[in-house]
Amino acid sequence: MWEQLIIQPMTNLLLFIYDVLGHGPHMFGLAIILFTIVVRLITWPLNSSQVKSSQAMQEFQNDKEWQDIQKKHAKDKEKLAQEQMRLYKERGINPFASCLPTLIQFPIIIGLYQSIIRALSVMPLDMLKLARTIYPFQNVEGIIPLNSKFLWMNLGSPESVQILGFAVPTLAVIVALTTYVQSKLTMPTSTNPTDQSAQMSSMMSIYMPLMLGWFALTFASGISIYFITSNLLGIIQYAATGRANWSNLLPGGNKKTVAKKK
Amino acid sequence: MKTKRLILISLLAIGAMLLSACSGGGTVSNNWHGLAADAEHAYVSAGSFVYAVDMKNGSEVWRYPTKADNDILYFANPVLTSDGQLLIGSAGKNHDFISLDPATGKEKWASAFTGAKSGWVASPLIISGKIYAPNTDGFLYILDMSGKQIADPIEIGGALWSAPVTDGEFIYLSSLDHRVSVISLTEDVVSYTFDLGGAIPSSPAIGAHGAYVGYASTIEFVKSNNDHEVVTRAENRIWGSPVLDGETLYFADLDGNVYSFDLASGRQNWSVKPNGSVVASLLVAGDQLYVASEADPSSELGTLVALDREGKTIWTKEVGGKLYTTPAASGDLILVAPYQAEFTLAAYDAEGKQAWTFTPAK
Repeated sequence: MWEQLIIQPMTNLLLFIYDVLGHGPHMFGLAIILFTIVVRLITWPLNSSQVKSSQAMQEFQNDKEWQDIQKKHAKDKEKLAQEQMRLYKERGINPFASCLPTLIQFPIIIGLYQSIIRALSVMPLDMLKLARTIYPFQNVEGIIPLNSKFLWMNLGSPESVQILGFAVPTLAVIVALTTYVQSKLTMPTSTNPTDQSAQMSSMMSIYMPLMLGWFALTFASGISIYFITSNLLGIIQYAATGRANWSNLLPGGNKKTVAKKK
Repeated sequence: MKTKRLILISLLAIGAMLLSACSGGGTVSNNWHGLAADAEHAYVSAGSFVYAVDMKNGSEVWRYPTKADNDILYFANPVLTSDGQLLIGSAGKNHDFISLDPATGKEKWASAFTGAKSGWVASPLIISGKIYAPNTDGFLYILDMSGKQIADPIEIGGALWSAPVTDGEFIYLSSLDHRVSVISLTEDVVSYTFDLGGAIPSSPAIGAHGAYVGYASTIEFVKSNNDHEVVTRAENRIWGSPVLDGETLYFADLDGNVYSFDLASGRQNWSVKPNGSVVASLLVAGDQLYVASEADPSSELGTLVALDREGKTIWTKEVGGKLYTTPAASGDLILVAPYQAEFTLAAYDAEGKQAWTFTPAK
């Protein structure tokens, strides 16, 4: 099921793009970038709804009526939850809408990783699987074997650059940095000190860069290309809405904005 | 808040675990076993270890190394030399190419050959006191019998997954980047290169004044006089090496078709489909042709089939796991090394009766 629904279509889409690009040196890296753009375009409506939903949730946290209800039912959790759901309904907020795109990312990342490893076929068993994965309409003989070189990297291996005798994982640093920038930009400002969603966002902006940085450090550099491209597109998409919170990138930026709003 | 934090961390952890489970860390995934045999021992390269197995009863004689090392992975067919060495290279992060004593499993060279840039999937060729070792970095390394590099490596290009073969005058070496290189043995230089238009995962079979190469769904004859021609075609992709026995060429495809082709008349003798897909090369031993079927279409288990020279099935034995490794013959026994089976090696007699199985002790 996973094979037919995720791995096969993803691998074939990747290889199709690679074939269209002329399958020369550096083209598989370019294919991953284009593939990421295609995935981003497909999930654009989902990401947009996530942005809107996050903003609605944020506005809700700063809502005077909700803050009054929180104070009034501070000791009655059940009543507080009922009132919260009532207000969500009244304001047309779906609290789970902001989670969906994040959840969709996981199978894409895992599928992409498996597709990259399969496509690069570092062992005969991988290549056998690849030969069986490729749809009949594809130019199998022209595509196999893939050229795994992209700029200074081998896309099938974790990346590092020798600087002064040390192996510096530049891609892992860029992945962590772009993930941090993206999460900080999308992090809402809050006037409410007990705002749970703001605390959650703050936590995410620390965990996510660390986790994706670790992925980039450990796994094939092809996956890092996906992360970086995806993060940059996410930043552009959010910036295009005009609501990117650039001040969050500075130390204490969030607090300054909050203070200014007060 | 605590619950949400817990859910978030759990989701991240699940994601990390799923991704980690995809592969062993980026470069090297798993592969089927390598296999070789002499009269006394069978030698199986099965990931972390190379095992020597007693041909009499299937018991372990030795294993190398004695302790698993995550950076070392052995998948190539080990090669026995006439001066008593067992040669094999690691496909893992560690790219050492080593020589072992076939009797004891002790290292024979003062130091391993560490000059290759990538892992070893192919077996080396030994001729005229030289070791020709193809690496996945695209170079053919030339060593003496003590493991010292005695000439500059020959750049072939593409990943080299198959063992070179020789007719005594030239070496024929196929590459994943679609090419067959014909190398002069006297000068150790590439005399000709042919682009056949498809990745070639297996070794050619030496014929008269050339070699038969299986790739895509084609058998091509690469001649030593700088020429090549299509001999015949299969219904699906040919993965294993063709096997030449007299004037008859045997080969199989991923659909499970087994072919017998008469080179003298240029006509196909017969083709049969005895079981499932065939990835391994065929084995000709005695009067029989052994077919390692990857998996029986109904049971989905690796199956060994014995055919007579007319393509008639003599017996069929379900082995288990998946069969990708080419069977080997030693004395009266046929050895198969199934992938992901309950055992690593099994021996069958010519009647298809299982003599023993070998499962490494943990």
